[in-house]
Amino acid sequence: MAVQEIKGDEYVIEHNDSSHVVGFKGTIRLQTTDDYAPITDLLQKAHGAAGKGKLTLDFRQLQFLNSSGINAISKFVIAARKEDKVSMVVLGSQDIYWQQKSLSNLSKLWSKVQVDIV
Amino acid sequence: MTKEAKIYGNWEDLPASAGGTISHSRMETDSRQLAEYWRRCSLSSDFWARYTALSSPEFSVGRPVRRDAVESTLSYLLNELFENTAKFSGGPVAAVVYESWLFPDRMAFQVTNHIEPARRDGFVQLIEELLGNDPDELYFKRLEENAETDQKGSGLGYLTLMKDYKVRFGFRFTPVAEGSIAVDVQAHIHVKEI
Ligand SMILES: Nc1ncnc2c1ncn2[C@@H]1O[C@H](COP(=O)(O)OP(=O)(O)OP(=O)(O)O)[C@@H](O)[C@H]1O
Ligand SMILES: [Mg+2]
Repeated sequence: MAVQEIKGDEYVIEHNDSSHVVGFKGTIRLQTTDDYAPITDLLQKAHGAAGKGKLTLDFRQLQFLNSSGINAISKFVIAARKEDKVSMVVLGSQDIYWQQKSLSNLSKLWSKVQVDIV
Repeated sequence: MTKEAKIYGNWEDLPASAGGTISHSRMETDSRQLAEYWRRCSLSSDFWARYTALSSPEFSVGRPVRRDAVESTLSYLLNELFENTAKFSGGPVAAVVYESWLFPDRMAFQVTNHIEPARRDGFVQLIEELLGNDPDELYFKRLEENAETDQKGSGLGYLTLMKDYKVRFGFRFTPVAEGSIAVDVQAHIHVKEI
C-alpha cells in the first residue's frame, strides 16, 4: 500500500492506492486555478489507479472549499465522466453545511456519481 | 465620463448607522494586502462569520436559527466576496470596505473595492448574464464550459451563492477619481433560507 499526500498550511489530501480513497481534510481555499493543479494531478492519478473499479472521494473532514475548489473537483468529475471507467463514490458529512448544500451537484454532472451524505 | 453611480440587481440603500438593525459592522482593509497574504481572505471571512453568527438568537423567523449554519453560510459567502476584492481590484485605489447589517429576518453585506474604468464593461456584462438567467442552468453550463477550456478564473463564486444559498446580489459602480471606479457588491440573505 502506498499513500500519496499533498499538504498545505490548512489542509491535507491523501490518496490511498490500495483502497482507492482520496481523503480531504481541513480548509482548501487556494488562490488560482494553477494552485489547484497538484490536487487535480493527484485525482487523475487516483483515477488511473482505480482502473474500472471504485474510486471514493471522501470529503467528510473538509470544513471548507472555495468556489475555485468546487470548480477543480467538478472538472475532474466531468473528465471522469468522459472516460467512463470508474464508479465514483462521494462521501460527505451531515455536520458540514457546505456539503449538504453543494455536494449533490456532483451527481448532477454525472449521474453515475453516488453521493452519500452520512 | 459620467460621475453618476449605476446600479444593477438587488440594490438597496442601506443605512450608514446601526439604526433599525440588530447589529451593524464595518471594516476597512487593502486589496493588495489581501492578495499578498491570501489567507487573510479566509481569516477575515471566518472572523466575521463567527462574529455575526453570535447574533443568531436575535433573529425572528418563527423557529430557532442554528448558529453553526449561519456561521458556515457566512464563511463561504464572505470568503468569496473577499477573494474577489483581492483578485480583481485595480487602478490607484486599493481600499476595500466590508460592511454588514443584520435585521430580524435578513442580513445584508456590502463589500467595496476599486477597479480601472476599462474593466467595468466586462464585469457589467457578466452581471447582466448572472441576473438575467436561471442560476441553476448557468451553473452547469459554466462548469461544462470550464471543463472544455483552460480558463483562468472559474466564474463560480456568485453562481454557487445564488444557486445553493439563495443569495441575492446587487451591484453599484461609482466613478470616484481619475482612473478609478468603486465597485460595491451587496449580498442579501433571508434568515429563513438558512
Ligand atoms: N469585486 C470585484 N471587482 C471586480 N470584478 C469582479 C469582482 N467580483 C467579481 N468580478 C468579476 O466577475 C467575475 C465573476 O466572479 P465570481 O466570483 O463569480 O467568479 P471568479 O472569481 O472568476 O471565480 P471563482 O469565484 O469561482 O473562483 C470575475 O471573474 C471578475 O471578472
Ligand atoms: Mg470569485
